Amino acid sequence: MRLTKYTNPNARTVVPANLFGGRFDVAGIENEIDWLFGAALSGFAPSALGGQFPVDLYEDKNNTYVRAELPGVTRDAISVEIVDGSLSIQATRKEKSGESESALSFNRLISIPDEVQTDKVSAAYENGILTVTLPRTEKSKPKKISVSVN
Amino acid sequence: MSFLNALIPTFSNARTEGEAVPIRRPQYQVNETDASYILTVNLPGVAKAGLEVTDEGGELRISGKRAQTLPEDAVVLHRESSDAPFELVLTHDTTIDSDKIDAELKDGVLHLTLAKAESAKPRKINIG
Repeated sequence: MRLTKYTNPNARTVVPANLFGGRFDVAGIENEIDWLFGAALSGFAPSALGGQFPVDLYEDKNNTYVRAELPGVTRDAISVEIVDGSLSIQATRKEKSGESESALSFNRLISIPDEVQTDKVSAAYENGILTVTLPRTEKSKPKKISVSVN
Repeated sequence: MSFLNALIPTFSNARTEGEAVPIRRPQYQVNETDASYILTVNLPGVAKAGLEVTDEGGELRISGKRAQTLPEDAVVLHRESSDAPFELVLTHDTTIDSDKIDAELKDGVLHLTLAKAESAKPRKINIG
């Protein structure tokens, strides 16, 4: 697995940059129908998720997490990069069916918040799930202030 | 092709009486070779301990629970996946040798090799 880090410019909120973008345009209505059928009929067709994969975003006290379902991908075929305040996840899955071999590419771009320490981002891949941990800067963590009352 | 026709997914929800338990049907694919059928099932997040494969009465049942769930104190910002357990039920005819099913789980993908019964294998008939 490759983990590339770049500088941290201004980023805004934690919402996938391409969550609905590109899919719900008028010109792409045919693609949309294909996508719906693909999703309903499932199978391994890349159209099932338009080359994308499901992503979860959640956070706790110290970190923000990005979790992606990427079954059947080898670790060295996953690349996680932070570019321009966005997290980019790319993966390639090779499939062998008989003698022919095909490769499927997936990618997802996710906007990450300002307060992430981009130099401390880590990623783990287990059971087909990639979890990227984005630690928050000290000052953005919730602080407990005790006020003494006299 | 007869196998594909026989391999009709049965609606697994009918099995649960009363309360409907959310179940996720995984993506799967079936390939055929001369000696066997290869079933590939995507089960992201399922570890070996949470996986169960049974073959009974012509019904191949694959159920898997996700090993990784969200931490308790986590605040969900955006959700696309589901923690619901996976279940896939496929029915087949007797062309499969139930004693010879090989299973391998790797990186969230289950590979099942279902050996064909001797009678179902292609055979060359010599013309005398």
